[in-house]
Parts: sequence; structure tokens; C-alpha cells
Amino acid sequence: MAVRHLEVEVRREPGGAVLDLRGEINGFAEEALDTAYAEAERDNPETILLNFEEVDYINSTGIALIVGLLARARAAKRRLVAYGLSDHYVEIFNITRLSDFVSVFPDEESALSGAA
Amino acid sequence: MTDQTPQSEGRGEERQPSREPRDAAFWAQRVERLEVSDVPAGAANVNVQGRREVGALQGFGQLWQKTYRVHLAGVEVTPEEAVRIWKERFPEFQPPNSRFYPSMAGVAPGEVLFISASVGGMPVYTGVRVIYADDESFTVMTPEGHPESGWNTFSAYTDEDGTTVAQIQSLARANDPVYEIGFRIMGATEQERIWTHVLKSLAAHFGVNEPVTMEKVCVDPKLQWSQIKNLWHNAGARSMLYTMVGAGRWMRGLMRRRGT
Repeated sequence: MAVRHLEVEVRREPGGAVLDLRGEINGFAEEALDTAYAEAERDNPETILLNFEEVDYINSTGIALIVGLLARARAAKRRLVAYGLSDHYVEIFNITRLSDFVSVFPDEESALSGAA
Repeated sequence: MTDQTPQSEGRGEERQPSREPRDAAFWAQRVERLEVSDVPAGAANVNVQGRREVGALQGFGQLWQKTYRVHLAGVEVTPEEAVRIWKERFPEFQPPNSRFYPSMAGVAPGEVLFISASVGGMPVYTGVRVIYADDESFTVMTPEGHPESGWNTFSAYTDEDGTTVAQIQSLARANDPVYEIGFRIMGATEQERIWTHVLKSLAAHFGVNEPVTMEKVCVDPKLQWSQIKNLWHNAGARSMLYTMVGAGRWMRGLMRRRGT
């Protein structure tokens, strides 16, 4: 199966900056994630939301990249929240214990209201 | 900093339909605590059974990402072949002071690898669990009490020149203040020596003698004082106790035999 490299778009919403993730989060995703995260940080939002609705593959290197984003968010006293995770990826967040530190919401509406 | 996770507390019926993820077979099942049924010969089930896994976010010390690489130059080996050999011979590639004991199933999602190490002459019995394994990588996660809290990912890939590169990426922090002090004084160097040895051994298996490079980045310089309680599970202290109790029993047995 062809690899779908990660594409990330940044949107600004009243509750925070949203990173729309599309494709695979693996070692190849580092540059796209870093660039998009830096773009999202530009307006100094209190919250950055990661939208996983269009993510169809995460490996352990991808999880490490998300930990890196979380560390950057914490250093800047920003909240990092996630939404649109399938049950499988909620489970992965639990296995890796990312869910101890990243609030996970079912959809954008609840994430934005939860982040407010 | 522990946030609530609303999704895991009560998800609505209208959530998106479940998709069949391609990575599902590569991830281990979640366990609340490590359960060990079979202990490999030579391993000690100390500081493993009943321990919770801890990731890069749960430990005490500074969070470091260290990436070690060796180019398997001059040989025809694919990343899949390199990782297959790595999984099969994982214990053989370790240095003598850091022994790994895999289960019969070997390096596979959900399997526990026991570790018997020596740090500064002191025994440390612990383990790791394989949380992810595919054809080109595998990742182990540490339990409570392990010197580190985090993950190590062992992988291989093809670089721009077409050479296969074997890589170890560690994303971890010291589990408690004692380990943090130890790592700052000497432990980090020791850890770096271990992973360099592993990559050298893997390369030597393919007849390659190339230098190992290492990059390190401090991902989070803060100490997590809320995790100071991790001291209770310190595997070094518990291993020392285990060894002393074992030695005491042996001495008592010896004296009893000599007395009869």
C-alpha cells in the first residue's frame, strides 16, 4: 500500500489554532508537523488542537513526534488537545499514556468548547 | 499536569464509524499492569510483574531524545532484513553488563523482555515491554522502577544514497531523582555506550565496521517533581535488596549445612 505522507493545514478558530492532520504520522512526518506547529504558535494561542480525523496510520515514531509537540506546548504554557481519534488511536494514546497529558475529545466542537 | 480525557470517559453514539487501521496488528494490547506467565531461563522476575508501564511523560528527570545511527555501508541488506535479524538476535547484540531475556515469542507486540544489568557494579533487574513492532521497527516501553521512563525505538531505513541505516531512538527521562543524579554523573554515558555497542554488534553481524553517530536533544528540561513518588519503585534499590536477601539465605543455608 502506498505511503500517505502527512499533510498539515493550520486553521485559526476562536478557541485556538487547529492543525488538520491528513495521512500517516511516522518518521517522515517530522518536518510537516514541526512547520505547521510553528505556524500555529505564531499568534500565541492558548490552545492548539490536533485534528486526527484524517489520520490513518500512526507508528511509535509518530507518537514520539506528538510527545515532542506536547513538550513544546508545555514549555510555552499552552494546552495541546486532540480530537477525531478513532477508538484504535484512543487506545494507542492510552497504551503510551499520552492520554494522561493530552485531553482527547470526540469532535472539534467539543474540543473547542472544552478548551475554552 | 494531568488533563482529563473526556473522550475516554463517555463517547457519544454518533462518533465516526470505526475504521480498520493498518497499524492495528503492530501495536500491543493495553495492559493495566505487566503480567508475566513464563520467565525465561536465567532471568529474574524482579521489578516486572505487576508494574505499570511508564512513558516519556511520566518520569522525573529531563526528557531527552537521543538518536544513534550506523550506516550498513557496502552490504546488500534491506531495512526489513536488518530489523528481522535485530529482533532475532536482540540479546546477543547487548554488552555483557546489560543482558536481555526475551520470551519464547521473541520481540513481538505485547511481549516482555527481562533485563539483568549492572550499573556501577550494582545489579539492576527490570524489564521492558514491546509496545510496537512492524517489519522495519520495534519499540519497547519501560515499567515503573526502570532507570528510564520512556521508549526506545529500533528501526532501519534506506538513506538517499540507497544505504540501509540502523537506528536507535530513545525518548526518555530518568524515572526518579536518584536515577536523575546517576544519569547526570555517569549513567547517561553508560547508556550511550550500551546503545553504541548494540549498533556496532548489529553492523558487525553484517560484516560492517562503521562509526556510530549520536545526536541528542533535550526535549523538556524541566524536572517533574510531582513524580518524586517514583522512588518507591526504584529497581536499583529493590534489586540490591533482592540480592542481599538472596545472599543472606545462601549464607544461612551454608551455615546450616556445616552445622549438621
